[in-house]
Amino acid sequence: MRRLFLRLRRRRSMERDVEAELAFHRDMAAAQGNPTPMGNTTVVKEQARDLWRFTFFENLWRDVVYGVRSLRRSPALVLTALLSLGLGIGINTAIFSLAVEFLFSQPSVTNPGSVVLLILGGNSHANPEVVDFVRSSGLFQAVVGENEETFINWNDGAETRQIFAVQLTKNYFSALGVPIADGRGILPQDTDEAVVLSNRFWRSHLRGDPAVVGRAIRLDGRPYTVVGILPADYRSLIGLGFSPDVYVPPYIEGTRLAIYARLRPGATIGEARAGLLTVARRLDQLMPGPFPYARECRIAAVGGLDRLRSETGEEGSQILGLFFLVLQVVVGLVLLIACLNVASLLLARGSARRRELATRLSLGAGRGRLFQQLFSESLLLSLMGTVLGLALRQALAAALDRFRPPLPLPIHLHLTMDFRITVYAILLTSFAAIASGLLPAWRSIRQTISPDLRPESKLRMQRVMVVAQIALSLVVLTAAFLFLRNLWRSNAISPGFDVRHTLRADVNLPPAAYKDDLRKRAYVALSLQALAGLPGIQAAAAARIIPFTDNTSYGSELTLTDTGRKVPVEFAWNAVSPDYFRAMGIPIVRGRTFLPGSLAGSDDTAARPVIVNRTFAQRYLADREPLGRSFVWGRNQTPSRIVGVVEGTKTMSIGERDRPQVYEDLSRIDNDRTRLQFVLRSATPPAMQLQAVHAALRRVDPDAGLQVETMYSSIGLAFLPSQVGAALLGGIGVLGLILAIIGLYGVMVYSVSRRTREIGVRLALGADRRDITFMIVAGAAKLVLIGSAAGLLCAFYLVKPLAMFLVPGLRPSDPISFLAVAALLAITGLAAAWGPARRAASVDPMTSLRYE
Amino acid sequence: MAKSDSPMLLQGTLDLLVLHAIQRGALHGYAIAQTIHLLSDQALKVEEGSLYPALYRLELDGAVSAHWGVSENNRKAKYYEITKRGKKLLAAQQETWSRLSLAVQRVLARQP
Repeated sequence: MRRLFLRLRRRRSMERDVEAELAFHRDMAAAQGNPTPMGNTTVVKEQARDLWRFTFFENLWRDVVYGVRSLRRSPALVLTALLSLGLGIGINTAIFSLAVEFLFSQPSVTNPGSVVLLILGGNSHANPEVVDFVRSSGLFQAVVGENEETFINWNDGAETRQIFAVQLTKNYFSALGVPIADGRGILPQDTDEAVVLSNRFWRSHLRGDPAVVGRAIRLDGRPYTVVGILPADYRSLIGLGFSPDVYVPPYIEGTRLAIYARLRPGATIGEARAGLLTVARRLDQLMPGPFPYARECRIAAVGGLDRLRSETGEEGSQILGLFFLVLQVVVGLVLLIACLNVASLLLARGSARRRELATRLSLGAGRGRLFQQLFSESLLLSLMGTVLGLALRQALAAALDRFRPPLPLPIHLHLTMDFRITVYAILLTSFAAIASGLLPAWRSIRQTISPDLRPESKLRMQRVMVVAQIALSLVVLTAAFLFLRNLWRSNAISPGFDVRHTLRADVNLPPAAYKDDLRKRAYVALSLQALAGLPGIQAAAAARIIPFTDNTSYGSELTLTDTGRKVPVEFAWNAVSPDYFRAMGIPIVRGRTFLPGSLAGSDDTAARPVIVNRTFAQRYLADREPLGRSFVWGRNQTPSRIVGVVEGTKTMSIGERDRPQVYEDLSRIDNDRTRLQFVLRSATPPAMQLQAVHAALRRVDPDAGLQVETMYSSIGLAFLPSQVGAALLGGIGVLGLILAIIGLYGVMVYSVSRRTREIGVRLALGADRRDITFMIVAGAAKLVLIGSAAGLLCAFYLVKPLAMFLVPGLRPSDPISFLAVAALLAITGLAAAWGPARRAASVDPMTSLRYE
Repeated sequence: MAKSDSPMLLQGTLDLLVLHAIQRGALHGYAIAQTIHLLSDQALKVEEGSLYPALYRLELDGAVSAHWGVSENNRKAKYYEITKRGKKLLAAQQETWSRLSLAVQRVLARQP
């Protein structure tokens, strides 16, 4: 450190100082009759200069200046190189930003490390009284509540539309220290009609009106005063890009809230957890309920990977992390392809500069020095490429900023530039410089030193590079193609029921009031009556389970009553009300649904009616007509009789195989659970029915826990991963292909230009022009073939871990993917070779023989 | 980089001699060379080609500090002064040197 400081201080005056000192020495010696020998003063100066070792950087600077000058003379090279590196580095930094945003971002609150999410009784949300109680316990410095799953109607004066709202306790902004761009946050002394706008809503819906703070906007028919606007880079506590439009105090009576708290200074999560358990026990004494709060108390962090873990589960966060790792690897390969492009361009250039290098060598330049000079050119290119890449990243981030993904959630990613991305960009620059410059620089010098090396060897090196590029792009393309196939597959897979015109209500009945089965049945009947009476509702049904939200499987043995045969079975079980199939849009293949009229039952009492799906009938009852057959299973002694056969549905995930399913009549089972679901088919857009359905169910039982959502929003997310994966990897794959083709094209053009003379001779000796075209194309085909073979080998092993991201049934080692990708590469590769081949064939023998 | 045949030994020894020469007070380069020359009964001649690089190195190592001053004949000259670190280095090198020379003498004094 000290040395560095001294160097910095002395560097400028050094040369002059040494000179003066030596002069003084000489004069003294001369004055005293020269008792000391002179020695070599130049050596002293050079040694002194080397001691202050900035020569390296000074030389570098000179090289850069020289590099700029010489690169200016080959604009085509610079353009290709910058385009390659810019795209490669741009896509790398963009994906890295995305990963950073998803995996490591912190919410916009002061000191996010001390903010935690509280989970009481295993529930993510709790009643407002609970929030108040936890706050009054004094365990935390501050306690706030929010509900992020609400819509509110916004009227802009002409039209009313639904926007995403967050309901939050009024201390939210002050307690968490949420940054505000304009105005202020909601304060505890504000009225209930105060609203804070997201920056995006303000810009897109209010045209960025600077005077909006203090004015009123109409929400749910009431005027709300706009008190503040959030900054553009605001990140909500939920993270993952979740950014609702407006933030308001709770406006729906009894909305359950997620509880966030700020730890007291110095308190650890462990201590807080112990304290929270005590609070929960007191809560259980004070407000005894069906779900004890102390049963499962957790405290989760709100930033980075910890939040991801608490929101998506351990496995989910791992998959997400691995997905970004895969993406990063794939874009890394794309960058490598780009670097190889630049390397082969520099290699070609190196041979053109052989005379220059030879001159410099003979004038006494060190090889190291020459190497440094050549290398600095690729460093220069990489630097410019990085600048271009970062500009591309900014453009992509801006595009993403404007883009609203077609999702049932307000997801809006804001990719900011920060030090992590800067550091990553610097690493990429060094990588690109080394990957693209090291080999060409070394080759050029070696070739200059031993000129007996045949020029063909340089061409061979380029060919090796093209082969590597093709192999790499095959790996990238295989990954991309797999994700595309995955998308086709999962889109083609229907969940087996209608998700566009249906909505779903999840009800949690208070168990104390519904101990009796009769009460539950009565609730179902009343609710169905109320729901069916709503305008626009075409069908309403109740079910134990709505697919994708819950699942009950049985693995048992059933005995067919007619033949006495015992059949081992595995099926998904459900209990539904008669209208379920109509409401869900599940076709009935044969027979009928259950008959309405619950208790006495119009279905005969000697047998329990069941409905099975087609898979069940095919797999277990294939020997005879399934309708009317009876079987005994489980603990029931009453036989079950099949009254209908329906089409199957998916039960847990979109990619699963068809499973056997059995439906029973909800009104006939011993219903031991208090969780119930309703499914409604609506003639109007389902989102418009949410409030009406909520209100209708609320009227039937004000105490029941309710969650109403469109079917699309409850399962739409199941499609998201495959869409995102396909979009990202598809784009990257195309980019990789383009870069590899540029590389191949460049090499073909170069090799044709090197062989002009040879081609001229061949033509002069009577070769057919078609032979020449064939020769060039065959040369390219050989490269593509070798590259593809190598790539296939690599891809076969490299894409194996992708299996976890794909729908079942789509194996990464599926030969179709490899073949399709190899064919694509072959076609584009040959197309790239066609142009240069044509040019070679059109060579005029006379001119080409004079060439060189 | 270094032009000498056995730079390690020479450099080490030269460092020792230089440090020794300036331990009584700051001297300029020429005076250092002269001091060594005289103290060795004119046996050792220090070339400027090795003296100044050694001085610069010592300065970078923090063993000596340099400043411009006025010489006895009223000319601007660079003076080198031993630092605390230099004194420690001197003591250590002196110790090493005496052990080494003693050992060498012992070896040469006896017949194999």
